Amino acid sequence: MADLEVRNVTVVHRKTVAIKNASLGASESEIVGFIGADGAGKSSLMHAIAGVRRFEGEISFDGVVFGSPKEAEKLKPSIGLMPQGIGLVLYKNLTVSEHLSFFSKIRNLKENSTLDAYRHRLLKMAGLERFTERQAGKLSGGMMQKLSLICTLIHRPKLLILDEPTTGVDPLSRRELWEILEEIRENEGTIILMSTAYMQEAEKMDRVYLFDSGSIIASGTADELKKTVKKYVYSPVPCESKRCICTDRYTYSLDSLKAQHKKPTLEALFFVNALRRNVEIPPIKVSIRESTEPIAPVVMEAKGLTKRFGSFVANDHIDMELRSAEILGLLGANGAGKTTFIKMLLGLYPIDEGELTLFGKPIKSAKDRRSLKTRIGYVSQRFSLYKDMTVRENLLYFANMHNIDTQKASRRMERYAHELGFESYMDSFPKELPLGINQRFSIAAALLHEPVVLFLDEPTSGVDAIARSQFWQMLRLLKKRWGIAILITTHYMSEAEYCDRIVLLKEGKKIVDDKVENLHKKHPKAENFEDIFLHYYERNNEF
Amino acid sequence: MNFDVIRAYMSKEFKELLRSRLILIVYILPTMIIILFGYGIRMEVTNARTLIIDNDNSKISRDLAERFHHSKYFDTVTVNAMSESEALNRIKQAKTDILVIIPASFEKRLLHRQKSEIGVFIDGAFPVRASTMENYVKGVIYNMAKSLHIQPKSLITINNRNLFNQAMRDEDAIVPGLIGLILLVAPAILSALLIVKEKEEGTIFNFFSSPIKKSEFIIAKLLPPLILHSVNIFILFLWATWLFEVPFRGSFLLYWIAAQIYILISLGVGLLVSIIASTQIVAIVLTIIITIIPGFLYSGMLMPISSMSGESKIEAHIYPVMYFNHIVYDTFLIGQGLDSPKNQLYLTILLFYALFLIFLGAWLMKKEIS
Repeated sequence: MADLEVRNVTVVHRKTVAIKNASLGASESEIVGFIGADGAGKSSLMHAIAGVRRFEGEISFDGVVFGSPKEAEKLKPSIGLMPQGIGLVLYKNLTVSEHLSFFSKIRNLKENSTLDAYRHRLLKMAGLERFTERQAGKLSGGMMQKLSLICTLIHRPKLLILDEPTTGVDPLSRRELWEILEEIRENEGTIILMSTAYMQEAEKMDRVYLFDSGSIIASGTADELKKTVKKYVYSPVPCESKRCICTDRYTYSLDSLKAQHKKPTLEALFFVNALRRNVEIPPIKVSIRESTEPIAPVVMEAKGLTKRFGSFVANDHIDMELRSAEILGLLGANGAGKTTFIKMLLGLYPIDEGELTLFGKPIKSAKDRRSLKTRIGYVSQRFSLYKDMTVRENLLYFANMHNIDTQKASRRMERYAHELGFESYMDSFPKELPLGINQRFSIAAALLHEPVVLFLDEPTSGVDAIARSQFWQMLRLLKKRWGIAILITTHYMSEAEYCDRIVLLKEGKKIVDDKVENLHKKHPKAENFEDIFLHYYERNNEF
Repeated sequence: MNFDVIRAYMSKEFKELLRSRLILIVYILPTMIIILFGYGIRMEVTNARTLIIDNDNSKISRDLAERFHHSKYFDTVTVNAMSESEALNRIKQAKTDILVIIPASFEKRLLHRQKSEIGVFIDGAFPVRASTMENYVKGVIYNMAKSLHIQPKSLITINNRNLFNQAMRDEDAIVPGLIGLILLVAPAILSALLIVKEKEEGTIFNFFSSPIKKSEFIIAKLLPPLILHSVNIFILFLWATWLFEVPFRGSFLLYWIAAQIYILISLGVGLLVSIIASTQIVAIVLTIIITIIPGFLYSGMLMPISSMSGESKIEAHIYPVMYFNHIVYDTFLIGQGLDSPKNQLYLTILLFYALFLIFLGAWLMKKEIS
């Protein structure tokens, strides 16, 4: 019987304790989930279990006990590890089929018809049969993750360790990844350890471990865990004490409130835990802009915008309007053309066809844009911060780029730092900051020149629940108090609900453009936005 | 040892090298270095712009001017009258490199065995070049004095070393040394890159999490650079003998074996760098610093090791460069081959050096996240 047991494992990384005294167990065919904020110790524990990192304590699997990577060596034929990061273990210029044959060979598998058939099945499960000759670097993020997964599965591991395989992956690819996992554990009896930032995924797991600041603080089935916090979860009412947090859907309070109780989600665990640990979660504030310049009702208008890369059409005649005081969610699978579209709007890619009007001014050349740059704010997928400069120095640099008077800039910086809650990090380097803080500070950098329109490309990937909730609080306040237009892309369908309007791209074409409530009305059976998204994506070429 | 695993890794490396076009660097870089440095480093000076002021205008003075004129080392202009300050001004304006002033009644004094003074002014902006030019000038005057059976010392103070007649060809002195430099730098960079690239991009996890042995991984990573750069041993040989016309007097087999061992040393350096560096750019910079500086200083190109003393002599013996260059210069210019006990000793030292570096690297490398 292939059982996994982890006893008192501690991982120390350069003198800081990454995870302390973690113990857990799993048996055949189980999917075990790791949830917790960025830096809570999930990856370190996974690395220890996979035998790729030194640790203290003891791990036993399949009857073998090990206490170091060296001792784990004899177990490696039956372990599969997929580390965090999209396409991390792939070689960008090897093709899909070359990957499968490389992984078969380094796993020392006998080339025979059984292996061939298995490889075929994996390719089919991942929907990659048509792309066997494509180089990994040219696959979309979702495809890369599926390829990584089947490469990890090639030697039929009995223990599969997956570190955030679905972060940054669109809902459709995510569902396909899950289908592969379900099939594998059914047929092979594999134990699957998996960390995730999506709570809907955690709900589907057999057992969930909650990590916080280097230790496991709770475990159980999703229902058991939710039960433990049930009494602290209320319908949204304003908070009065420090032992209470209010988000737009829920209020979490350690003291009993008069408000009505509400059914908790797994996200509640994070909030209740933060309250118990007396973590101060400063409420986000946004004061009005200094500039009094009025904002036109339509800030951007695109007509038939098209972008081609060789014979590939990344954006196919897209019409879109961006209005002031509106949050527009731009959704679509990996590779549907979201980032390309934003880059075209920003002038980072030349427009191949179509008309673009920014602030009522038709854009024909780069010259037309120059004066408009001061009205646009942009945060890219990877926050473009200078990692050798402190937060303060970074912000000053961005202010200088926009020709903002130093006095005015430092006044604004202090205000943003205070309002967005990163005051205490002003003299730290970006890499010392939690992801959530980094993200808010990146947005502050994009807001220094008080833009009228803000473009955000997947700003929330990998950010934990609390930071995400604060992030959305900030966006809503920006919309309300500044009245600016915000365009955001995301893979969290739960976040789509926070947008005012949704534009859905599929294979470079726009297939949906509607208000969120209208979409819910159109699809009354859909439980959440993910269902709506999948509904549009499954229908083949009807549009 | 599982050769299928090694083969799989190696074929992956070759595909990546070809598709990422890194292969171009493997073959263009060494050729580029040998051509740039081979032509670029010039110790000898030719066509020095020389102004001769002949105040005497006699048979002997004209003969002296002729001698300068017929040398490929000088481009002469002879005038019969020009003030010294005007002439010196020409040096200041960098219009002239050398100024030779023949005094009036030069011939008369000479025939009367009276002391005479030829003024020589040389542009000293580049000291090495200046001293070379100085020696050339002295050589010309010395020669003339000899033909007149005059003790040159009574004419002008002349350095006894006669660099002039036996001037060695620069190519012969430099190009073999360059081979040593290139074979130390280029394979090290490639082997460090092949390993650090996986660390930087995260694919190193495939090694960590699979049953591949450390020895298999290292062999798979070092063999491709060894194979690719072995070709450069021949390419560089061709450039040296064909393009730069350096004579080859010794044993080709010795040259080849020594170069192969030397590449192994270079791979060992790359392996050690890959253990410290975690990004490709750091790996490149570190490798270049570690290999080029000693590769150049102790190559014997700038200064013969035999004329080094103290610390520099000790350092020269610590780095492998000296041993390889000794063998290379021997094979090209001298040809003693394996009969020379010094060559035998140096070859053995190189072999142990290579084994030491590679085993040290293999011991230091860990199959886990550091």
